[in-house]
Amino acid sequence: MAIIERPEAAPAVPGAPLVPATVTPQSSLGAFKRPVTTTGWKSWLFTVDHKKIGIIYGVVAIFFFIVGGVEALLIRLQLAGPEGKVLNASVYNQMFTMHGTTMVFLFAMPMAAAFANYFLPLQLGARDVAFPRMNALAIWLTIVGGLVLNLAWFLGGAADGGWFMYAPNSGPIFSPSNGVDFWVVGLLIAGVGSLIGSINLIVTVLNMRAPGLSLMKMPVFTWMILVVQFLLVFSLPVITVALVLLMFQRSFGATFFDVAQGADPLLWQHLFWIFGHPEVYVLVLPAFGIISEVLPTFSRKPLFGYPFVVFSGAAIGFVGFGVWAHHMFASGLGPVSVAVFSIATMAIAIPTGVKIFNWTLTMWGGKIWFATPMKFAIGLVVLFTFGGLSGVTHSVAPSDTQQTDTYYIVAHFHYVLFGGMVFGLFSGLYYWWPKVFGKCLNERLGSWNFWFMFVGMNLTFGPMHILGLQGQPRRMYQWTENRAGEGFFDLGFWNLVSSIGSYVLAIGVLFFLINIVWTTKKEKQAPLDPWDARTLEWITASPPKEHNFDRIPKVSHLDEFFHRKYQEDPATHAMVSVKTAEEVLAIEEANAESNIHLPSPSYWPLVLAVGIGILGLGVIYGVPTMIIGSVVVLLAIFGWVLEPSVAEDFDYEGSSHDGGSSKELTTHG
Amino acid sequence: MKIKALMSNRRVVAAAGLVGAVSLAGCAQNAPQDTFAPKGPNANKINNLDLLVFPIAGVVGAIVIGLVIYTLYKYRDRGQPIPEQTHGKPVLEITLTIIPALILSVVGVFTFRAIFELAEEKDTEFIINVTGQQWWWEYDYPIQEEYGITQPIITSGQMVFPAGTKVMLRETSRDVIHSFWIPALNGKKDAVPGRIHLLRMEADNPGIYAGQCAEFCGLSHANMRMEAVALSKEDFAKWVQNQLAEYQAPAVGSLAKEGEEVFLNQCVRCHQVNGLKRPDGTPAIAAPEDNVYSGAAPNLTRFMTRNTFAGAMFDLVNKKCRADVWGASAGEFGAKYLAGVTEECLNTGGLRAWLRNAPALKPMYADPVKLEPTDGKYRGMPNLNLNEDDIDRLVAYLLTLR
Repeated sequence: MAIIERPEAAPAVPGAPLVPATVTPQSSLGAFKRPVTTTGWKSWLFTVDHKKIGIIYGVVAIFFFIVGGVEALLIRLQLAGPEGKVLNASVYNQMFTMHGTTMVFLFAMPMAAAFANYFLPLQLGARDVAFPRMNALAIWLTIVGGLVLNLAWFLGGAADGGWFMYAPNSGPIFSPSNGVDFWVVGLLIAGVGSLIGSINLIVTVLNMRAPGLSLMKMPVFTWMILVVQFLLVFSLPVITVALVLLMFQRSFGATFFDVAQGADPLLWQHLFWIFGHPEVYVLVLPAFGIISEVLPTFSRKPLFGYPFVVFSGAAIGFVGFGVWAHHMFASGLGPVSVAVFSIATMAIAIPTGVKIFNWTLTMWGGKIWFATPMKFAIGLVVLFTFGGLSGVTHSVAPSDTQQTDTYYIVAHFHYVLFGGMVFGLFSGLYYWWPKVFGKCLNERLGSWNFWFMFVGMNLTFGPMHILGLQGQPRRMYQWTENRAGEGFFDLGFWNLVSSIGSYVLAIGVLFFLINIVWTTKKEKQAPLDPWDARTLEWITASPPKEHNFDRIPKVSHLDEFFHRKYQEDPATHAMVSVKTAEEVLAIEEANAESNIHLPSPSYWPLVLAVGIGILGLGVIYGVPTMIIGSVVVLLAIFGWVLEPSVAEDFDYEGSSHDGGSSKELTTHG
Repeated sequence: MKIKALMSNRRVVAAAGLVGAVSLAGCAQNAPQDTFAPKGPNANKINNLDLLVFPIAGVVGAIVIGLVIYTLYKYRDRGQPIPEQTHGKPVLEITLTIIPALILSVVGVFTFRAIFELAEEKDTEFIINVTGQQWWWEYDYPIQEEYGITQPIITSGQMVFPAGTKVMLRETSRDVIHSFWIPALNGKKDAVPGRIHLLRMEADNPGIYAGQCAEFCGLSHANMRMEAVALSKEDFAKWVQNQLAEYQAPAVGSLAKEGEEVFLNQCVRCHQVNGLKRPDGTPAIAAPEDNVYSGAAPNLTRFMTRNTFAGAMFDLVNKKCRADVWGASAGEFGAKYLAGVTEECLNTGGLRAWLRNAPALKPMYADPVKLEPTDGKYRGMPNLNLNEDDIDRLVAYLLTLR
């Protein structure tokens, strides 16, 4: 990997002497130049900086959150009344398929990746991830995959088999449009991106922690991200295999899921859910990690039972691989399998319960500050509890045969994923916004944002418990008056409430978007440490310098930053402020290191991702497209291998921003 | 602001509690697919589990949410000093791990027992083969002499079976995965092509029970409904007898006779009517496998004994007669149901619209220009381009199939 040394920026403390760098001229072996721009649009396209990549992930995720949200609003509009006429059956089926797919693969995973990319190195006291060019490849593959998935809307209709894409309905006969092909190819590409990203982050956590930062001193967010990456490494290959089988069936005449040829359609279900269930924890554990940072910060107390939270997270991840068949209780597995998976599913409620208790006890005895990040974190604790408990009701397999594929399940997983995951992610957005952009999101708008989302979410998904238990199945483009009943549980009434709720929810999200615009426009900079935070990412400027830390911090405590600011009075056991955040930072800056290693940007991750995208479209559009894609991929691989590991010092000449100082202190060894 | 936030939080919880209480309380006039209204022993077993699990979940939820709200109120920032940096109490944590584990073990024991009871096969008294196809169900009764079934009966639209009898459904599918679900009688079980899955079914009393395909099965999944009809043993015997009765051709010269001719020209390509003969006296045998991708079409032999058509998407009876049957007491239900669909009760408008242009009412793959993947075979019923006179004749004929 090309980690090269580039000079640090001029020390931020005025008057401090520049530390001279050793200048070792180096000739490049490579055939291509590396880009050196650090500003402008090129700096984003070719960046390998984990912070820029994190921001791109965030922008992509929020874009697709809006796309998936609009799809959801159309679904609720259609179901507001009986015999809805807003969408026809075909478009409705595409809509719910793409809503699920978009929210899982193009919003939730990239949003978690945004936080992971940005904050994992910062929380570890590192200057970047282990493999920066691979990191860039991962984001571009995610984007290309998302584009391919959604391209189908304009090229003959999107996938219409549900995000679970059960065989044999997904086969070429039963889903004749190209939608499923775009879905398969798009997910394969995005999946490769996620896999690359997960290996990268695992290596980063295991190898690049600051001195003194033992695993059991790592922030819980970093821990949860580590667990998630292991889940991805073990589960993504399974869905990749399943997708390749489906691709060969649809595009090349294979018969893996063709019942007439003796296939068993349950094979797909097993493959899908062996991936799909760990995926649930892939989605929710990052949010758990975020609020495990936010709750202590805003309660002014360490996380209650840190090792319990860490180990319960790992336990959830581990047991999460042994419960996939609880998605298949009605599939005809036989009583022995059903009983085993039923009990295993109950078992997973235990570590989840541990987390809820620990979060609550973190707040117990604290000094709680109800800022917006905290509101969202508390929202998660409350809503996830509801979702977890309804989850226990369908771990009881016989009950689940009444509940599965009804709106009761839709209610359950939206409490878990919207109430759990999305609230956690929003908590993180409000919490870390000043760190990333140097400005605090507006608290008043944040409050509106929270309350509209909280009320809207309960109005939307609360009634779905009733709808499901009253027997309304999922994935129906229309419901009928005949099956609606009357009185308090009238399906018509609760469908309408749910639809109204979805628009309340949408207004909540709108407040968030308004807040972003508002905050971007205003001049006021955030204080260095607006929340009196506890972890390493706050021992640097906001936004962080390109090289993150002037000096790699030495860690001696869990919540290192807090312990640099506060010390215990031995007599009273009260915490006494000893330094301000500014003073802590000033000490670091005064002791800035002289040679800072930073990777150079590269053209090739983007080119390679585009090439893979074209290659993927070749599966749908035939050999000529495939050849073009292959040529681009080969070119990109050669470029990647042959480009210099070091940007030449004369490359920096005349470059816009920090070229001047770079010229002075050029590269080293 | 903080206190206000707490208040509305409490209100939300109070409202949630109210909703919870009411949902446990009443079931009157609920939707026909209410999962908390068991009408047979299998659904009852499930309901008993629910009666254990839902209250436990409710109580645990109330305690946790109560604790959270109390914590937020008690430890809100009132200017107190930064608290002691305590890192946890292992004894408390282990206790809080063991308590849910114990609760779940209790639930687990009951769950375990119910799973095996609901999978019992040995006590079966009656068998129906249930086959899913896009987007309707076929019910096929194998020969069971003790119930008077001396030849196989094939129906669709409504599954008729004897009440108080342990029925075993043998489910499969001809195309994609479907799921058979009558909430009042049992949980759902997927009908998977290439596999046979068993589902127990038993109704305590005569009556009609609504259901719905629960596994997404493509374009018209929303329209794939079912109705299960339980009859007393005597009434069921009458129903069987009628299903197996000799075909009665319409009187020569009647409108219905002309309708039979239209049926022979158009419908019999896919739809079988047992005993129907061509003018030359040869039996008219439907060949749905030549025209329909999944290979079958509903058998219409005693069409007017069913109250639904088009995969139970539409009622064959009008609203008034439907209400009469659905609202009948267990005692008088059988007689009302066995009366079948009379001319006064027929949902004429619905049936005519269907015959006029079926794919306009129910989304199906029936557009001839889009059937390339299936070599021109339909998935669903195409538009037959019948004129109004033919529709008159067909309706008259169909009314004789009783």
